[in-house]
Amino acid sequence: MTEATDLAEQAGDRDPRVGLRAVAALRRLLEQLEAVQVRSARAQGWSWQEIAAELGVSRQAVHKKHGRR
Amino acid sequence: MFEKFTADARAVVRGAVEQTDRTGSGTVGEPELLLALLDRADSPAAEALGALGVHERRESVADALAAARRRGGMSTADAAALAGLGIDLDEIVARVEQAHGVGALSADGPAGPRKRARRPFSAEAKSVLERALRIAVGRGDRYIGDEHLLMALTARPGPAAAVLADHGVTYGDVVRELGEARGRRAS
Repeated sequence: MTEATDLAEQAGDRDPRVGLRAVAALRRLLEQLEAVQVRSARAQGWSWQEIAAELGVSRQAVHKKHGRR
Repeated sequence: MFEKFTADARAVVRGAVEQTDRTGSGTVGEPELLLALLDRADSPAAEALGALGVHERRESVADALAAARRRGGMSTADAAALAGLGIDLDEIVARVEQAHGVGALSADGPAGPRKRARRPFSAEAKSVLERALRIAVGRGDRYIGDEHLLMALTARPGPAAAVLADHGVTYGDVVRELGEARGRRAS
C-alpha cells in the first residue's frame, strides 16, 4: 500500500479528481461493507427490522436493497 | 441481440460462463469476459490483445482480476484514492476476511453452492454486452464481434478497464490497434 500512498501524494490533494475519486471509492467500499454485514446478520437470524434499526434506515429500504439474497 | 454475434463473440460469451468455475464468482462479470477474450486465438480481439502484449501477461492479468475481486471490485486506483484519505483498503479486506471468511468482500460473498447458475450474467456483464452493441452500431458494423466486446470492456471505468490500464492498455490503444489490423486486412 505504500506505493498507492505515494501515488496519492504525488497527485496532490488539491486536485479535485483525487478527492472525487476517493469519495467514489469510499462509497463503493461502504456498499460492500454493508452487504457483508447484512448477510452476516441475516445468517445469524436477525430480522430485517433489527438490521434496519442498527443501520438507521427503514425496514422497507433495507429489505428492498438486500432482500433478494 | 445474440443473433448478431459472430462465432468468435459467441465463443467468448460461452467461455466467460466456463470461467465462473475458475474465478469462483458464480456469475459472469467483466473479469470472466476479459479472461475468455484472452483465451481466444485468431480472432480480431485476440490479435489486438496479442499485439498490445496482453496475451503473454495473461497470468498477471488473471491475478490482478482476482485481487480486485477480493477487494470487492475496487481497482488499484481506488485503493490509491482511499490511501490518500488514510484508509488502507488491504487492511480492511484482511479484517473483513478474518471475521467473515476469505472472499467475503467480493460482490457476491464467499464462494459457495448457493445461487449457482440462477443468474449466470451479472448486471455488469449485461451492460458490457449492451455497450458492445452500441459500439458496433456506432461504427456502422452489422455484427457484434469479440473486438466490440473488448472495446466495450475498456470504454468505461470498471474492473477490466482498470486491470488493463495497469497493464498499459487503454480504450484508445485497443481502438488504434483494431483500426490498424482492419487496415492491414483491407489492403
